[in-house]
Order: sequence, then structure tokens, then C-alpha cells
Amino acid sequence: MVEKNGKPESIPRQLVFRALKATLKGIFFYFLYFILWTMFLAPLALIVPNLQGIAETFLAVYILLMVIGEFTHGTIFQYFFDAAKALFIIGYLLLSLKGGIVSLTYQEIILTVDLRLFLMFATLLSLLGLSKSVLQAINYLTQKTEHATI
Amino acid sequence: MKTSIRMIGIATTFLWIFLISFFISAVYSVKDLHFNMSEPQMGVNQNNEVYFSLPITITNNGFYSIGSFMISTKILDENGFQIAENSTVVPVIRKGENTTAFHTVMVNISDLLQNSQVNYLVNDSEFLVKAAIGMSIAQIIPVQVATNLTVPWGAPFYNLTFGTPQYSDFNTTHCITTIPISFENHAFFDLNGTIQIKMYNDSDLLVGSGETTFEVPQHSPYNGIVEFYVSTTDLTETGYLEVYFLTPLLDYGPLVVSYG
Repeated sequence: MVEKNGKPESIPRQLVFRALKATLKGIFFYFLYFILWTMFLAPLALIVPNLQGIAETFLAVYILLMVIGEFTHGTIFQYFFDAAKALFIIGYLLLSLKGGIVSLTYQEIILTVDLRLFLMFATLLSLLGLSKSVLQAINYLTQKTEHATI
Repeated sequence: MKTSIRMIGIATTFLWIFLISFFISAVYSVKDLHFNMSEPQMGVNQNNEVYFSLPITITNNGFYSIGSFMISTKILDENGFQIAENSTVVPVIRKGENTTAFHTVMVNISDLLQNSQVNYLVNDSEFLVKAAIGMSIAQIIPVQVATNLTVPWGAPFYNLTFGTPQYSDFNTTHCITTIPISFENHAFFDLNGTIQIKMYNDSDLLVGSGETTFEVPQHSPYNGIVEFYVSTTDLTETGYLEVYFLTPLLDYGPLVVSYG
């Protein structure tokens, strides 16, 4: 039982609420991806081989981590999954963008795009997200310790 | 601490939205970038170099300016010998602007014929053209498109053949020598100029020389003769000819051909 607004909240009700929230978040993210894909990224898929596969794998793992994070809300594990999400973004970007220099070959034509600057900013933002998760975890533990002391 | 964490979260979200929307709009604006290549111009400059000039009009209707627009061309022969190289750079193409750049490549035909390992005067061949177009989308994201093309080289004096010298008496000391010449002009340009022939005997002594003018349109055969007087006392059954080709586009020689 968990106290909420002075009233106890049952665990099944809590789980249903979290599942609903996670589902809605997942649908929202997939909808956002769907709009981005159909409006902007679909024409690029003709040039970049396996772009859809790369984007969908990323989205699937991201949504999975987000859903697990949502289920573990209110526990220390929530911050673990947030940190995992930030690390996953860094790793996935580094691997899928091959260090920032992307080269594509179509017949006799070689297209080279230098995305190192974009990658640098994306990595820095992910590190900011990681630091936020670490700070949240510290804050959570501090509050828990304070409650235990009182 | 909660406020700081919340501020980091808000800042991160805004920066992510800004980064992703900037990146997508920058990539998307490439579709509003139009290239229009006009008819290439070809000619001969003051240094007797053949030039190819390609006018390119770039229309930037995208959301951002384009930086460091560059076209580069490198022409190599089959053995990797560099025949020509040039780059054309436009520092900035602002959004909504039209810019015309002339990409010019100059080839010194005389240098090509004299310095390369293959005799391109008489042999058809293929040249490798390495072309690249580069630019910085939104002056931040560098993009390059490169390709390799093979272009045929047509020899200006393809299948150059010197017939057996024919001698006819002129007087007691000299005779008239007639040397038939034939070739096909496979080059992309018309040929006109002079062929000079110096005839040497087997003791390397000059026995006579003569020249003829020619005018051969591209992809046309030529059959002609060179007539000149030679000293009968110095003439031997065997020897060699030194042949010089003098045209506005190329000077080549000596090409040594033995006779007898």
C-alpha cells in the first residue's frame, strides 16, 4: 500500500496507472517518430540503405527503456534506466554514425557526410541527461535517508 | 537540488528539440538547392592550353546559406600520371541567391604528349576523371559527392604510317624523295599544322628535310606526302627519319622512325 493524498493506493491500481502512463508515452513517441518519418526522413531512406531499420531499432530500445523506467517509477531503478537511456543514445549514435563520417556508395557515386559536429552536440546533450539521472539518484537517496532519520 | 535538476531537464529538452529540428531542416533544405549546368565551353588559351569551362548556376532556395561550395576535377591517365587538376570554390551562397561559377580545367596537350609514358599522339586511350562536389549545408554540415569517370582519349595521329621513301632523279647530285604519310584524327579537335621530316643516313648525317601542311577535321583520315631533295652521295639504304608535328594546339617531336 502506498499513501497518496493521505489515502492509501493499492499496488494493482498503481501498476495499472503506470502501465497506462507507459503505454501513452510509448504511443506518443511512436506517433512523433511516425510524423518525422513520413514528413522528413522517408525521402532519405531512398538514399540511405537500412535507415528505417536503424531508426526503428533505436526507437524500440528507447521506448522499452522508457517503459521499464516508468514501471520502476518511485524507486532507485528509475534513475538507472534513465542513465541507461542516455548511455544508449551515446552508444547508438556513435555506432550508427560510424564516428561521425558517414559514407554511402551508390553505383559510381560516393556521398560523404561529416556529422562530427552534430554527433558532438548529441553526445554532450546525452551526457547532460546522464548527469541529470545521476543527480536525481543522489537526490532520491538523500531524501530517503532524511525520511529514515526522521 | 530539485530546482537545479528540473532546470537541467528543461534545458536538455529544449536543446534536443533545437538540435533535431535544426538538423532535419538543414537536411530537408538540400532539396531546394538546384544546380543547372550550361553547355560546356571549349577553346585554346594564350598558352596553347586546351580549356574546358563548365558554367554551373546554383540556386539556393533552402532555409540556410551554403558554405564552401567546391568543385574539383583531377584528370589522370592509365598510369596515374596527372594531366590536369583544378578546383573552383564559392565561399558562401546565401539563401535565396543565385550564383554562377565557372569550373575550368586546362590541359596542356604538348606537355601531355611529351611527358607521359604512353604516346598519346598515336595511341587511343582512356583517362580517369576524378570529380567531386562539396559544400557545407547551413555552413556547418560538410557534404561531399565524388565520382570517378572514364573518358576516352582519341589520338590525333592514330595509326600514323610512313610509307617507304620513293626516290626520283633530279640532277646528278640530288634526287627527290617522296614519303607517303597517313593517319586518322581520332581527337576531339580539328588538326591543322605542319609535319616536318628530317632524313638521316646510317652515319647520322642529315641528308635532307622537308615539310607539308595538313588540315584534318576530327574523326577524319589523312593521306599525304612529304617531298624533299636529298643528296645522292650521302643517301644510304637504311637510316632514320626525325618527324616533328607543329600545330596551334600541340608541338611534338622528334618522333624517330627508321627506314630501309
